[in-house]
Amino acid sequence: MIIDCDCHNYWSSAEVLLPYLDEYHRDYFTRGEQPGPRGSFPNANRPWLHPEGFKRMDINPQTQEDHYRVMKEKHLDAYSIDYAIMTGDEAMEASTIANPFYAAALVRAYNDWMIDEWLARDSRLKGSIMIAPQAPDLAAQEIRRLGHRSDMVQVLASHGAERPYGNPFYHPIFEACAEVGLPFAIHLGGQGGINTNPIAAGPTRYFWETHAILGQSAQTHVASMIAEGVFEKWPELYFIVIECGVAWAAPILWRLDADYKALRKETPWLKMLPSEYFRRNIRFTTQPLEQPETGVEHLWSILDAMYGRETLMFASDYPHWDYDDVQKLHIPPQWRSDVLGNNALQVYRRLRNSNTTEAAAAVTA
Amino acid sequence: MNGQGIHACKASEVAPGQQKIVRINNMPIGIFEIDGDYHAMLNICPHRGGQLCEGPQCGTGIDAGDFGIEYGRRNELVRCAWHGWEFDIRTGEALADPKMKAKTFDVSIDGDDLYVHM
Repeated sequence: MIIDCDCHNYWSSAEVLLPYLDEYHRDYFTRGEQPGPRGSFPNANRPWLHPEGFKRMDINPQTQEDHYRVMKEKHLDAYSIDYAIMTGDEAMEASTIANPFYAAALVRAYNDWMIDEWLARDSRLKGSIMIAPQAPDLAAQEIRRLGHRSDMVQVLASHGAERPYGNPFYHPIFEACAEVGLPFAIHLGGQGGINTNPIAAGPTRYFWETHAILGQSAQTHVASMIAEGVFEKWPELYFIVIECGVAWAAPILWRLDADYKALRKETPWLKMLPSEYFRRNIRFTTQPLEQPETGVEHLWSILDAMYGRETLMFASDYPHWDYDDVQKLHIPPQWRSDVLGNNALQVYRRLRNSNTTEAAAAVTA
Repeated sequence: MNGQGIHACKASEVAPGQQKIVRINNMPIGIFEIDGDYHAMLNICPHRGGQLCEGPQCGTGIDAGDFGIEYGRRNELVRCAWHGWEFDIRTGEALADPKMKAKTFDVSIDGDDLYVHM
């Protein structure tokens, strides 16, 4: 069983959204300012531009139809992926736009387009409800609008955000997630516009150095989700951290546990150690999995310290430049069935219902 | 030249920036031209096994001293299609990690025919 928890469904042009946008926001889109040429997605631009482009260079779809065909051929079929969770692409950049109504309209259009264009094509593809987190009430509406569809398996926002996600400002989002029974996931992105703090100490200058440390804000979100008591309010909520690095988790948990033990009185609503909430409620996807020059045993030791056999879920990041190949994923061999599929089946409960007896057996095992 | 030459393709089918991927002895091989000379490289990246030769044939940023950058090595490099590592087409060495070497093969030319020696 292989479940890919980060598989990007592209569009040939953001204009595919036009039929899905309401008339008012269609005018914004067609006549309003765009960050790039015709067909680019409205977002408040990132300070960092990838010098070679984000896509693997052997993947060059020319038409909308090609995007699915190439994904099927070069990824889903080639690696026998049982399920791939669609994480969109540019659409998560709606989180950078100041106007909450436009941002919410864009993600709503994206979600409807994704259902028609991607989920309808292939039962292996499962959807993420993209939200614009700067408008928590509108995000909650969108979660409730689509959250009962059996082919939607999580709620997704960019990791770039106006404030740490545990802040009560965002709690309407988690309330809605809990109501429809979906995990809340963040994916690397949304570094610009109203999300003014993607890098601590100010903007670094080069793409590679920035990409390597973009996990910084995910550290903030993990600490905040725990400290603010999100998992006391919604004990069954899973928080999934996608593409923000993995190997930093254990040292952060050690620090959180130590500081909490000294200053428990600040957050008396917590009933467990931060690391215990992490183990129960937080999951990380693997890509891009750190690769130490000094030997994989260093990585494995630190993955073990974050309960990696339970908390890690495979992701490829298809079709991006830092794609992880499922056949070459450097995790302990005895973890493979859990990290490649079983942990995701635990988190994405709906996959179990829509699944074959084979997958049901894998969960029980 | 090492080994027996096996016909790969026509020289006229290859140009700088337009490498050709051929299959020889069931191995995928990229054929490149740099300044009128032809080179062959296994289309499997030593980093993670990606389609190395399907990335762009290109030059790169060179240290010009005093923290300056200039463009150099025009067409001498291929950037792996998957993860973007730069390899010297002639030697197979990865620029950022010379320990990492892509497999290269000698190429001979007879008229318009290119032969790879394995």
